[in-house]
Amino acid sequence: MATIAQNRWIQTITSLDDSIRHRTLESLCDGLSTSGLLHATSELDGFRRQTDNLYHRVRASFFLAAIYRFHLPKTFPETQAGLLSYRAYQHILERRFPEAIDQLLQLQRTEGPTIAVSSALARAYHQLGIQTLADQVRRSVRSVRGNQWMFRIGHPSEHPLRINKKLHQTEKSTDDYPILCERTSVRMDFSHSGWSDIFFLGMDYPEGARVLNASIDLGVYGRDATPRPPVEAYLRVIDRPLLRLVSTDLGAEAEISEIDEVFDFAKDYLGLLKGALIASGIVPPAMEGCHRKMSELLATLFGRDGLGLELVSRVNDIPKGSRLAVSTNLLGCLISVLMRATGQVSRLEGGLDFADQRLITARAILGEWLGGSGGGWQDSGGVWQGIKRIEGVLASEGDPEFGISRGRLLPQHTLLSEDRISHSARNALQNSLILIYGGMAQNVGPILEMVTEKYLVRAGKEWSARLEAMEIFEGIVAALESGDIKRVAELTTRNFTGPLQTIIPWCTNRFTDSMIEQCRSRWGGQFWGFLMLGGMSGGGMGFFFDPTIQSEARKWLLETLVATKRSMETSLPFAMDPVVYEFSINDQGSWAELLNHESAAMPDAYYGILAPKLVRQDLRQLSPQSQRELMRLNRRCRESDSRARWLLDRLLPQPAQTGQHESNLRELLRVNGFDRQQHEKIREELTSGRIGLSENRLPPQTVIEDISPDDIVDLRERSLECQKSSEASLGRAAIASNQIGVITLSAGVGSRWTGGAGVVKGLHPFCKFQGKHRSFVEVHLAKSRQTSRLYSARIPHVFTTGYLTHTPIERHLKSVEDYRYPGPVYLSRGMSVGLRMIPTLRDLRFFWQEMPHQVLDEQAQKVRESAQSAIMGWAQSTGETTDYIDNLPLQCMHPVGHWFEVPNMLRNGLLHQMLTEQPSLKYLLLHNIDTVGAHVDPLVLSKHIESGACLSFEVISRRIDDRGGGLAIVDGKRRLVEGMALPNEREEFKLSFYSSMTTWIDIDQLLESFELNRTMLADQNLVDDAVRIMAQRLPTYITIKDVKKRWGLGQEDIYPVAQFEKIWGDMSTLSTVSCEYVAVQMMRGQQLKEPGQLDGWVRDGSANYVESLCDF
Amino acid sequence: MQIHKAVITAAGPGQTALPLQRLVDRDGDEKTALEMIIEEVDAAGIDSIGIVISPGNEDAYRNAAGSYLDRLTFLVQPEPKGYGQAVLCAKQFVGREPFVHLVGDHLYLSTQSRRCVQQLIEVAAEENCSVSGVQPTNERMLPFFGAIGGRRLPQTERLYEISRVIEKPTPTLAEQELTIAGFRSGIYLCFFGMHVLTPGVIDILDTLAAERNRPIPLAEALQELANRERYLACEVEGHRYNIGVKYGLLTTQLALALSGVDRDQVLSDMVELLATR
Repeated sequence: MATIAQNRWIQTITSLDDSIRHRTLESLCDGLSTSGLLHATSELDGFRRQTDNLYHRVRASFFLAAIYRFHLPKTFPETQAGLLSYRAYQHILERRFPEAIDQLLQLQRTEGPTIAVSSALARAYHQLGIQTLADQVRRSVRSVRGNQWMFRIGHPSEHPLRINKKLHQTEKSTDDYPILCERTSVRMDFSHSGWSDIFFLGMDYPEGARVLNASIDLGVYGRDATPRPPVEAYLRVIDRPLLRLVSTDLGAEAEISEIDEVFDFAKDYLGLLKGALIASGIVPPAMEGCHRKMSELLATLFGRDGLGLELVSRVNDIPKGSRLAVSTNLLGCLISVLMRATGQVSRLEGGLDFADQRLITARAILGEWLGGSGGGWQDSGGVWQGIKRIEGVLASEGDPEFGISRGRLLPQHTLLSEDRISHSARNALQNSLILIYGGMAQNVGPILEMVTEKYLVRAGKEWSARLEAMEIFEGIVAALESGDIKRVAELTTRNFTGPLQTIIPWCTNRFTDSMIEQCRSRWGGQFWGFLMLGGMSGGGMGFFFDPTIQSEARKWLLETLVATKRSMETSLPFAMDPVVYEFSINDQGSWAELLNHESAAMPDAYYGILAPKLVRQDLRQLSPQSQRELMRLNRRCRESDSRARWLLDRLLPQPAQTGQHESNLRELLRVNGFDRQQHEKIREELTSGRIGLSENRLPPQTVIEDISPDDIVDLRERSLECQKSSEASLGRAAIASNQIGVITLSAGVGSRWTGGAGVVKGLHPFCKFQGKHRSFVEVHLAKSRQTSRLYSARIPHVFTTGYLTHTPIERHLKSVEDYRYPGPVYLSRGMSVGLRMIPTLRDLRFFWQEMPHQVLDEQAQKVRESAQSAIMGWAQSTGETTDYIDNLPLQCMHPVGHWFEVPNMLRNGLLHQMLTEQPSLKYLLLHNIDTVGAHVDPLVLSKHIESGACLSFEVISRRIDDRGGGLAIVDGKRRLVEGMALPNEREEFKLSFYSSMTTWIDIDQLLESFELNRTMLADQNLVDDAVRIMAQRLPTYITIKDVKKRWGLGQEDIYPVAQFEKIWGDMSTLSTVSCEYVAVQMMRGQQLKEPGQLDGWVRDGSANYVESLCDF
Repeated sequence: MQIHKAVITAAGPGQTALPLQRLVDRDGDEKTALEMIIEEVDAAGIDSIGIVISPGNEDAYRNAAGSYLDRLTFLVQPEPKGYGQAVLCAKQFVGREPFVHLVGDHLYLSTQSRRCVQQLIEVAAEENCSVSGVQPTNERMLPFFGAIGGRRLPQTERLYEISRVIEKPTPTLAEQELTIAGFRSGIYLCFFGMHVLTPGVIDILDTLAAERNRPIPLAEALQELANRERYLACEVEGHRYNIGVKYGLLTTQLALALSGVDRDQVLSDMVELLATR
């Protein structure tokens, strides 16, 4: 069997025959046992090491990752948990994947396959595959002819470009330099490419990489009279030898006098402009680290001393996340204007030649790579004109990719002129399609990685879906050519509901589904269809309507989008209110003109940024050009009152802008139980260094050991069927006699889930069950409902809430009538909050340097380090340990840790109420909002009752992603230990079990540990004292959390802030609390911390497991 | 192909005084740059030399021509209309004959026994076509020269068939269109400032001048020449010195002195200078 497997796997990778090469992963794994799969992995790994062909290597890596992640672990018992090697983990974090793989395979050879090693190998192979692809894209970008020279020119005096003389000739009458202005469209992908424009995929299977891409001008409905090119770049010579960069849309400006500053991407908001300077060759990438002055470089470029350049970007109020590739097209626009100025494209003014457009596309790809991002290869489509097919191309002899990958890096563009898509068809499209921005800004990075892996391993149904999407693509082209827009709409809708959601279920969400439903219900047959733009829906989207009602529908759509957003904004990460656009197809492509005389003015927003800076200086100290600029501004303000007012607002502070937030914050803190005294004490201890990240740790001499099998009750091999066995009878009886209640911890906002966006994680509709997006809250209630029905029991279900989550959850549960849950549903409101602080530099350094972090790909890591340096500067200038108040009040506050959630039930009287209403209640099951597999399992409950313990904590076999402590013997005592409390990183690798946080609580024993009893719960003072005393017995941890600050049009910044918390697991450290530990199945105990986990969670059967526990 | 005529252009803006500069040649004799350029073509057996000059410069050039005055024809370019137009001023002078063309702001030092012009003329005579002198040049010098693209002529060491001519290309364009197999990255064949041209180029310049009311770059005409007829490039064994750039005259003088009879004296002067400054 093994030999057959080996041949099939490698044949599948190497065959030129499509029917063999496209064999699916599932068919290859079908029927293989542990040894068969291990043999296949051994052969694949050997093949990966010896093959020279890049794509063979990558496919082998992805096959290996999939086997280790999804197939191998199913073939051996979960009790084969195993331990990870710390060194292998370090290799993975440091991106030394081959070394990590070698060590892990060695471990597997000696100890056999284990859960821990399999999970680590899956991650290492997956990342190795992605890294290999990224390296190849990087090599290809560098080896494109026309790009190579920039990687050789390392000294300013060697620079071979010169600025066009027309730009540094002043006008005789005014002494002004002309301005070169470039205007560029954005791109829209009609067909949705099935993500086939990801570079890796075009290079793997160029035949499948194809998109229908249109350059469009945009106007905001209700604001702009007509659509126009949304992005603009302005270039002007200045009379000082430096580079001045201005982003009018982000309100940022910088003067650069050192070449190295250009490579500091994340220092400010000017990364895109810096990327354009580098990618255009003005500051070639090889000059990074040359430590030379910008004036030297400018002297070479101009052929004389004393002159500089000013580069200004403008986006006409198009929000970030529009899925129209605004950033890439702005990058293309900036690159184009700079390449025109240096003669690298044929014309200084007017349109671009085909060859120029190709060159700019290649440079935009380079720029994106430099900035550590990476769009698809169609994204700079706005630089081109009209509608075009963009397709992957097979690499042939002479191409740098030949012999390395099947496809070329750069695609081929075919313009579809009016004889292919007629003028009337274009008009019909414009009269039917309404483009909108839904307001959601989400990271599509994980989706692109998922697609890459699925395509490269030819995952069964996803591959079929891709083939279907390719057929749909041709249908869309044909329909557009025949002018049948209704057919286009049908096909784009079919694409979205069929192939796209089959490949990536996460490309849709409840907001999108709701909008489509509402369109159908309001407009019936006059709603023609839906178009998803970009990597996922929720941001840029298109709705097709019968042209006769387009105008009416546009108005309705805006109102409905805003209303729908309002109803979902606590559960989905919206960055701003939705926007409806008017668009037109741009038939001239990126266009430049030289502005002279009076027309040589920068956009108004430029003066809004620069003027305050200039007027603060002594006029006589300004350069002649700046003085003239101020005079020009004076003249313009006199011509227009509104412009003058606008400028005044930027020059002088306005009332009611400051103070508002702070008073709101004060009130919110007061209402939510903020303890100022405790806060000041924490600040003082933080400042003095008595507490902090490093002080979270246990003393170095602490002895940490793994537990022995006798120390736990092991239920990992017990299936759900065991619930019916006699072993579970105690539990079943307890449930049936109404002794159990459930607590779901829902006070936090799941900052990792939405990157600190502050939405209520519990309400996030994270996954479709039975054809509908369901939230965590709904899923947890559905599980309790099933248990209630099975045992005819009354199971009270409590959601603990915090200041951020209480009102939204309360409102939501009311609106859905508690999902008609048969038992009581309670909310336990949080009783205390903290105020976030600016972290200390010491803690930031500890966080970034001492704590484990995955090192990113080379360029992305540079950007991250640059951002970290900027954050250190922010912390220092704002003041370490000062209150964090520069954000929305709710974002400045923090929950104080999940330990408080149970004591809160004591303090707010809920437990007392529950016990009064249901005196039979004896046990509580407490779990995290994201432990979606946790339910009232009679078998585990039986074990808890049998043990007689106060608390029974559930643990699971540790996989590589389960970081953050676990079950250990600490100085001889069995307890849970937090990752941040371990004396050093290595200790965690001794521990076999990870804590799922799910806890079975004996109510009376717990009250006893607080020195309370059921009767005493009625006495508020007694309860408050008991909780305070207990809190003092537990450690306080300082943590660093990311918080998102939103500003402008969908812009978001992420800041690390300091906060404190107390941890529930530390109850296990108390000698007065008896604890037991139960090892459970992975599917029951695993937590969903990041959306990137969802795909694997569905593929490994966990979603089905959860669904089987639910009764919706 | 027999070549009897040479055309030297010296009418470019800022160039007119350069050939009049005085230098000491390899033999230790003081001469004008013009005399040295004429010596170069004289040694190759050229007997008739046309010099394209700006209006009003003839007297100065007459004075600078030394003993070669009687072999010179002065061709006045009435106004600066580009390099191509300067060459076109020699239309009557060259008639229907091939000719050598040199620029007036460069001096040449051969590294072999035959002078640079001689090397070029021999190739043109043998191959019976236009030939431009070229030199492998680092890309950082691209803003100063015209450059060619093409392929090496089989069985030859230093000859190339030209398919592309671009004046002062950007490195981006050079990389896309001027890369020649066998050269390291970033090295391009740039003009040496010396060409043997057939009368075909005069016809092309004539046409371009009639079609376009703008300065005509010579490179544009040479590109057209490559499209119409066989056109070769020859890697000249020698060095060119541009006396028109900053310190160009000094560098040229040093190069002459260090390869001539006064080498030891100049070297010791330089050492002394280095020791005292």
